[in-house]
Amino acid sequence: MNPRKLIALTRAGIMESLQFRLGTFCTLIGNLLYIVLVYFLWKAIYASSGSDTVNGMTFSDTMIYLVLATALFNFLEMFIVWDMSRSIQSGKIILDLLKPMNYRRYTFWSYSGSHVVLFVLTFIPTFIVVMIITHGAIPLGFNLLWFIVSTILALVINFSIEMLVATVCLYTESTWGINIVKETIVLLLSGASIPLAFFPEKLRRIVSYLPFRAVYDIPLSLLLKKNTSCEIALIGLQAIWVVVLTAAGIIFWNISVRKITVNGG
Amino acid sequence: MADEAIIMKKICKDFKVLNRHEGLKGSIRDLFSRDYRIISAVKDVDLEVKRGEIIGYLGPNGAGKSTTIKMMTGVLEPTSGEILVNGFVPYKDRTRNCENIGVVFGQRSQLWWSLPLIESFKLLRDIYMVPKKEYEDMLELYASLVDIEPVLHKPVRQMSLGQRTLSDILAAFLHNPKIVFLDEPTIGLDVSMKSKIRDLISGLNREKNTTVILTTHDMGDVDALCRRIVIIDKGLKIYDNDIDHLKSYFGSYRTLKMKLGDDSWEEMLIDEKTTDIMDVITKAQKEHRIKDIRLEEISTEEVIKKIYEGESA
Amino acid sequence: MGKRRGLLFYLSIYRKILIQDLKSKMSYRADFVISTIGMVLTNVAGFITFYILFSNFPSINGWDYHHMLFLYGFSLIALTPVQCFFDNNWNLRFMVQSGDFIKYCFRPVNVFFYFMSEVFDAKGLGQLAFGIGTLVYAWSHIGIAVTFLTMAKLILALFAASLFMISIMNIAAATCFWIQGSGYVMVIMFRFKDYAKYPASIFEGIFRIIFTFIIPIAFVAYYPSLLILEPDSFPLLSILSPVIGIIFFIISYLFWMLGVKKYDFTGS
Repeated sequence: MNPRKLIALTRAGIMESLQFRLGTFCTLIGNLLYIVLVYFLWKAIYASSGSDTVNGMTFSDTMIYLVLATALFNFLEMFIVWDMSRSIQSGKIILDLLKPMNYRRYTFWSYSGSHVVLFVLTFIPTFIVVMIITHGAIPLGFNLLWFIVSTILALVINFSIEMLVATVCLYTESTWGINIVKETIVLLLSGASIPLAFFPEKLRRIVSYLPFRAVYDIPLSLLLKKNTSCEIALIGLQAIWVVVLTAAGIIFWNISVRKITVNGG
Repeated sequence: MADEAIIMKKICKDFKVLNRHEGLKGSIRDLFSRDYRIISAVKDVDLEVKRGEIIGYLGPNGAGKSTTIKMMTGVLEPTSGEILVNGFVPYKDRTRNCENIGVVFGQRSQLWWSLPLIESFKLLRDIYMVPKKEYEDMLELYASLVDIEPVLHKPVRQMSLGQRTLSDILAAFLHNPKIVFLDEPTIGLDVSMKSKIRDLISGLNREKNTTVILTTHDMGDVDALCRRIVIIDKGLKIYDNDIDHLKSYFGSYRTLKMKLGDDSWEEMLIDEKTTDIMDVITKAQKEHRIKDIRLEEISTEEVIKKIYEGESA
Repeated sequence: MGKRRGLLFYLSIYRKILIQDLKSKMSYRADFVISTIGMVLTNVAGFITFYILFSNFPSINGWDYHHMLFLYGFSLIALTPVQCFFDNNWNLRFMVQSGDFIKYCFRPVNVFFYFMSEVFDAKGLGQLAFGIGTLVYAWSHIGIAVTFLTMAKLILALFAASLFMISIMNIAAATCFWIQGSGYVMVIMFRFKDYAKYPASIFEGIFRIIFTFIIPIAFVAYYPSLLILEPDSFPLLSILSPVIGIIFFIISYLFWMLGVKKYDFTGS
């Protein structure tokens, strides 16, 4: 797949995102309000707990974590499952499969454009705002580098998970059910709705074996320098998940596509 | 009760459209711009349709046909002008207007996807509050006009395109509306299905005196069903008269068909006023072997093409 | 010569169309099963989140475990009507973009009604079951008496509460008539509903106003519940919640219908 094609796809994705002007604006406002919700909830929670630090996290720690998690969520969010089940239902998927490009790669790069936009429009401003409000509570150093690398890996992992789930759609014609299951599980087990630090010991151990923490928890703990293991180990863990999930995804996908083409959809 | 089914006077419809700019920088600019322009989709269209007529509603794509139809069905409000459908202003009383019209619009079926056709019919009967006797009479009429048995108990999602079109048309006529709007009913169908659909439409028009507005690009439809055609182009009505009248204007045109040595047919449109047919044949004979010659009146299709291309009638 | 269509007409048509949707959904068995599992998992995840929170923090703003659980169960029940009967809102954006929406405007019935009647989401009943279970459990632990009055108050409170989420989703969905790419608004609103199970007393200042009157999640559980939880000292807003709910619903309905009217039906 030549780089020109990739750039063209990314560019098209960016332009499409920008054209939804008011929509983007509403999304921004919506996210801000969501953060406000999170803020008030945790403020009340900490106020009622009687101590400043719970499980090693202060209120400020938790807020920063959750705010960045929300921003990261917007960045990582891919409507792959939605779009794919729609295109399966309408039969359009056949057209896409006939295109001379590898479907997986095509999908990844066509979504990548909107991700660049989202990163610039949502994550970076959020980061800056958080820095200002907390008077620089986030350390700035090598951790930023680790964070960027980790985020890119998280993006790929998230993509692989989405593709795996979307492949299930080839079998079931379901839209809502599968997507919600995936979202609920990912949000809960990745530490995006509640930081993993709060999880009871047993649960935390189980979760550490799952790929979901590689999507939110690892990048964020690297950024906030709250990592319990060394950086390389964590990045390494992510890399392993990238390989495992991508391989599983490709195999599962190929089997399923063959099944469809045999049955004629 | 007025004789006119539809009256449109000086109908105009304008749309506001955002001016889009090119390229990446342009897209960023658009995020903040307030630059709109007004597009006139329909300009000063007058139309009167009498009860029981079947009119062919023609025009190139994007000419404003579907916009005018949306105004007749009460779904869009005209920017200016008057419109009366069955004596009412359609957009002012959408529900009442819908009682008296039937619509087959676009390639999407309006029936319930997984229901057998008969169940859709029953649902429609309830929605339109059709009296039992009338409903049963209608079904009998359908059975007499087409072979309804194979589709009656099939869910729409299992039907072929032809069956789906048939079902949609039957559903549109079910509540005995005064006017039915059919949008490209024969598109994508094979020859035998097209003929069945045309027979159905003309049969229903004959039995129930339903006015039919038929939008189509298929000249076979026009030839089979319409006495009068209306042509819309670029938002203006450029023709509104009988088909025969049209053909007479292009009376000097002939379609010359020649069968060549390899058994293929070559077709040419010749204006006898400017060109001598014998010259053309002689010239052709010098270059090819001619096995057969046919000389015909100009086809409807050629006539319409000429009008689209801007020749006056 | 217009035909009269009264409430009975609409009810009977609604029942018929709804049953058809249910029948057709049942035929997609795998989808039905997976969606139900999805629903169960979502609720389970919700409970796990709740549990984790409470294992770290024994109370929130003076609300203890069982009172919070009451709110949680109450909100689940209040969210069922919007899930079951107004689910088609999620499809609005796509139908409007493709132009398919126009078919709802060709029938002599109210467009909003016709549109909503096409889809019934049976999965919502699973959520209802969870909600009822939770509410009953919490109720018994708080020790409120079960009298005719408290039952009547409960029904009224639930009715009022359900109107609010319906209104929110109507407005969120209707934005697609004016704004392109606003599908995310519905997703965000849907996520907001998860915060309806917390007492609105956590909000301060202008945000209390926003989350009470503009995006009224405070009315989805908090205010109506107080009618039962604090029968002697509930705030004014609690007793007004049915009225406010009806007003909100009417506003959302009018907004939705305005979108239909203003929409120029040309699709994308």
